[in-house]
Amino acid sequence: MSVKLEDVTYIYSPGTVYEMHALEHVNLEIPDGQFVGVIGHTGSGKSTLVQHLNGLIRPTSGHVFYRGEDIWQEGYDLRQLRSHVGLVFQYPEHQLFETDVLTDVCFGPKNQGLSPEECKERARKALSSVGVSEELYDKSPFELSGGQKRRVAIAGVLAMNPDFLILDEPTAGLDPKGRDEILDQIERLHKERGISILLVSHSMEDIARYVERIIVMNKGQVAFDGAPKEVFSHYKELETMGLAAPQMTYIMHALKEHGMDVDVTATTVEEAKESILFALKAREGK
Amino acid sequence: MIRDITLGQYYPADSILHRLDPRVKFVGTIAYIISLFLFHSWGYVLGALFLGVMILISKVPFKFIVKGLKSIMMLLAITMFFNIIFTPGEPVFQIWKIKITVEGLTFAAKMAIRLVFLIIGSSLMTLTTTPNQLTDAMESLMGPLKKLHVPVHEIAMMMSIALRFIPILLEETDKIMKAQMARGADFESGNLIQKVKNMVPLLVPLFISAFRRANDLALAMEARCYHGGEGRTQMKPLRYHSRDYAAYGILIGYLLVSAAFCILGF
Repeated sequence: MSVKLEDVTYIYSPGTVYEMHALEHVNLEIPDGQFVGVIGHTGSGKSTLVQHLNGLIRPTSGHVFYRGEDIWQEGYDLRQLRSHVGLVFQYPEHQLFETDVLTDVCFGPKNQGLSPEECKERARKALSSVGVSEELYDKSPFELSGGQKRRVAIAGVLAMNPDFLILDEPTAGLDPKGRDEILDQIERLHKERGISILLVSHSMEDIARYVERIIVMNKGQVAFDGAPKEVFSHYKELETMGLAAPQMTYIMHALKEHGMDVDVTATTVEEAKESILFALKAREGK
Repeated sequence: MIRDITLGQYYPADSILHRLDPRVKFVGTIAYIISLFLFHSWGYVLGALFLGVMILISKVPFKFIVKGLKSIMMLLAITMFFNIIFTPGEPVFQIWKIKITVEGLTFAAKMAIRLVFLIIGSSLMTLTTTPNQLTDAMESLMGPLKKLHVPVHEIAMMMSIALRFIPILLEETDKIMKAQMARGADFESGNLIQKVKNMVPLLVPLFISAFRRANDLALAMEARCYHGGEGRTQMKPLRYHSRDYAAYGILIGYLLVSAAFCILGF
């Protein structure tokens, strides 16, 4: 068990008129090596949730455990925790500040106390793993395009070699090509380095394609938690939360209703194709 | 963290004071402050009574009103201290070379009452009026200055933009701070020079974002043909209702009674 939330409640501005319950009695366990997706409507508490995982905000009540240790106990090293649990914020390109790309990516490793050579080594590895080419290393991060800036910012967190990487809407505002590239690179990281990934998104299609487990947040509570197929079978309830299942789920359900014997749990285009072809063949065989 | 700081301490509620025209509240606050300086002794009871009634009808919890006083406690203590020590007059008792006088004590008490009432009175205005309403009121009240070529509209526009940007920049600061903390930045430890150096990863992105936002806003305003105050109408123009005239009436009445108290020496 890697990260565990126990009965976590978080309230913004408690005791004032602006009091807001962002999380209510959340219980979660994320084991090592899992690729998890978190979805939820705007204001459902997704971002608040992920900030609890690396100790950026302290729960109003409840406990957060990392590797079995309470991270808010006296004397716990939160900076150490943050180098194990990397968090990439929404629009991470807004945090770039150095004069060139390589130095900016070195910021994280430098804070971990590594030597300049080690920092550069880590930075180069991180940059190449997100697909930033070497001729950009000496450029100012502010000269890059939006997609490149995003990659550099993600590399800035990756260079710290986290065991657990959290990405809050890493594809927001990117074009479809940039989105797919970044998600593919994240998946490769998961497969090659075996690190756990938690992907926050509101795009069901993104989530359905990559993750093995989905956590649906609604009004600060965990509404569903399970494998994608299982969660998407609740597509009617998802709609009442302002979410929607992937388009394939709708098509498959509509086909089933019209008497075609297809697998309604198919979520990707590939799976749907297989299932439809299979059903058509079965029908011809009759 | 930073999110907890509330600027422009507006307290949303549904009361007559909230619905009153902001100009009335602005003029009223000034009138009330003037009245506080007219009183001699018993007048303060009238001032307290007026303030008490206003607090009651504002529906703002007393807790919030007292909160505003915390910040001036230091100032109040210092003012009182110097007034007590340095006012010459009939001594009550003497410690070493410091004379405590009757005049000093009464003057200090008066000063304290004035300051407390003044702060409560003006925070009652900011608690019941949104910052935007306040700038609208100022623009409208300063209207006559336009004849003297004072750029009233521009000043009001700058004020409302500045007010609007404060919470945005605070949120941005909070976000960038957290993002850098997630990359292992340390904003707390180290000596002064170290601390200033550690601020660079926060300040550079913050400045860039502030300029970007300002640029975007200017562009958005120009795209909607904004060209200053000339011939510009408002979406919610300030209009006096009967309750506002009634409020002005009450204010004039209050000021007249205060003036009478002043002349009679209360």
